[in-house]
Amino acid sequence: MNIRFKTLSELKKLLETKEISSCELVSETFKNIASSKTNSFITLDEERSLIKARAFDEGKIKGDLAGIPIAQKDLFCTKNLRTTCGSRILENFIPPYDATVVENLNAAGSICVGKTNMDEFAMGSSNETSYYGTVKNPWDFERVPGGSSGGSAAAVSEGLICAATGTDTGGSIRQPAALCGITGIKPTYGRASRWGMIAFASSLDQAGTFARNAEDCALLLNHICSHDTKDSTSISDEQENYLENIDDDLKGKKIGIVKEFDISNLNKEVQDSFEESKKIFEALGVNFVEVSLPNIKLSVPTYYVVAPAECSSNLSRFDGVKYGYRANNINNLEELYIKSRSEGFGDEVKRRILIGTYVLSAGFYDAYYKKAQQSRRMIKNDFMEAFKDVDIIMSPSSPSSAFKIGSKTEDPIEMYLEDLFTISANLAGVPAMSIPHGFAYGLPIGLQLMGNYLEESKILNFAHQYQKNSDWHIKSPNLEEIS
Amino acid sequence: MDNKTIETISYLARLQLGDDKKEKITKDLENIINFVDELQNIDTDDIAPLANPLEKIAPKREDSVTSKSRKEAFLLNSPESDQNYFIVPKVVE
Repeated sequence: MNIRFKTLSELKKLLETKEISSCELVSETFKNIASSKTNSFITLDEERSLIKARAFDEGKIKGDLAGIPIAQKDLFCTKNLRTTCGSRILENFIPPYDATVVENLNAAGSICVGKTNMDEFAMGSSNETSYYGTVKNPWDFERVPGGSSGGSAAAVSEGLICAATGTDTGGSIRQPAALCGITGIKPTYGRASRWGMIAFASSLDQAGTFARNAEDCALLLNHICSHDTKDSTSISDEQENYLENIDDDLKGKKIGIVKEFDISNLNKEVQDSFEESKKIFEALGVNFVEVSLPNIKLSVPTYYVVAPAECSSNLSRFDGVKYGYRANNINNLEELYIKSRSEGFGDEVKRRILIGTYVLSAGFYDAYYKKAQQSRRMIKNDFMEAFKDVDIIMSPSSPSSAFKIGSKTEDPIEMYLEDLFTISANLAGVPAMSIPHGFAYGLPIGLQLMGNYLEESKILNFAHQYQKNSDWHIKSPNLEEIS
Repeated sequence: MDNKTIETISYLARLQLGDDKKEKITKDLENIINFVDELQNIDTDDIAPLANPLEKIAPKREDSVTSKSRKEAFLLNSPESDQNYFIVPKVVE
């Protein structure tokens, strides 16, 4: 049976009615992965996946996601399965434990077939900083899939897998979801456990997921999110069933359009898609209200102080002593640190560690890090004010569609501006998602929906109603044409 | 961003930049710092820094052992170890 492009819910049904076995599903998945040219995976786990599939077929595994193959971003620690974080420094790292998100998805019965490619330590918006090679966008092999969760997004977009996890520090789920034409969600900061996620910027990092539609994302979030005492920032509030309100009527609800997001200078197709999407919501009885986020222009500079500062601190643990890459021909301990780190990290990671070290160094701390934390509060306050008037906020997910591989690698700032629309949700810590809503230059673009704290249900409800009234999420790349 | 600053922060971060990359990285850092300098122009008087979006205080827990020692499993990942120890070059003469 051809399983490519089937949704999670469709596969679940096929398993329930025994039209397909989990073994067939898993074998077919590995066949598709073997023939793929997008470089979406770094490590595969075929043998153990088949053992699990067999156990499911024998009735030994139960659960909401039982028997379904999924993929994990290579930033989540997976017990006894290599976890590289896209870096040379972790080329041989085999975690002795599972991340909580992985544990949760395993407990629901899903089968992790492998680890997806990503920008090194999640630092990038194009997947070009991976030590394991660039991922190609399934819609056009000359273009990037976005990043940092580029492998997960490409794998779902190409129909290799119906769902894959991602992490989002500044847009790393939403921007690749947009560029690959699929649905992706980042819940509220603290809603999913960060235990076992290799840390980049701890006050911004959050786990989430990619799938073919909002309904599947809701089902996955029900398992990805959990309160975890092993993560001190984990939220203990009762967790909703994200599927419960997904069919709610949108009549009379309000969407905020950000006054300061000037989309008039974006590509005409991006603007037109945005207007068309507004019409879809209007037809469902939604009202549009202009909201002001006066400090939003500070998002990117604020992020590029906070994130590198936290990264320089987090990545100091990689020293060639306890795990990871160790350089050869070493004379003393200091040389061991310097050589292992210099040979183990790529250029973008080094750049960010150096910025972080600079802004945290004596004499500069107040001018940069403290200042950025203050502007972060101003941005958060703007969101809190805006959400008094509206249910959700809507914007494009990224400035345009996927760009050519190599076209933005020379200028880091140009690359950083890819996350113009996504970064503020991480700074404020609010949930946000991207859904496909049109094309620009023949390639998919995304619509971003942002919600107030712990209102994942609301954005999923809006996204699901949109998808019931549009077909952008059903479109898939023509693989024959491009291969 | 002069050469000396780059050398100082590289050393603080325990990173060595290849001669072929130094110039480009210096220029990149200069551009990035100029870019984030926009923050210097904003009025942040009376604004308390925000370190974590939730502003929650880390919860306390009972000081009890919750998992057993898995020393062997963790030592397996080390580049060089001997029985209970990570091996590094000699630090005391």
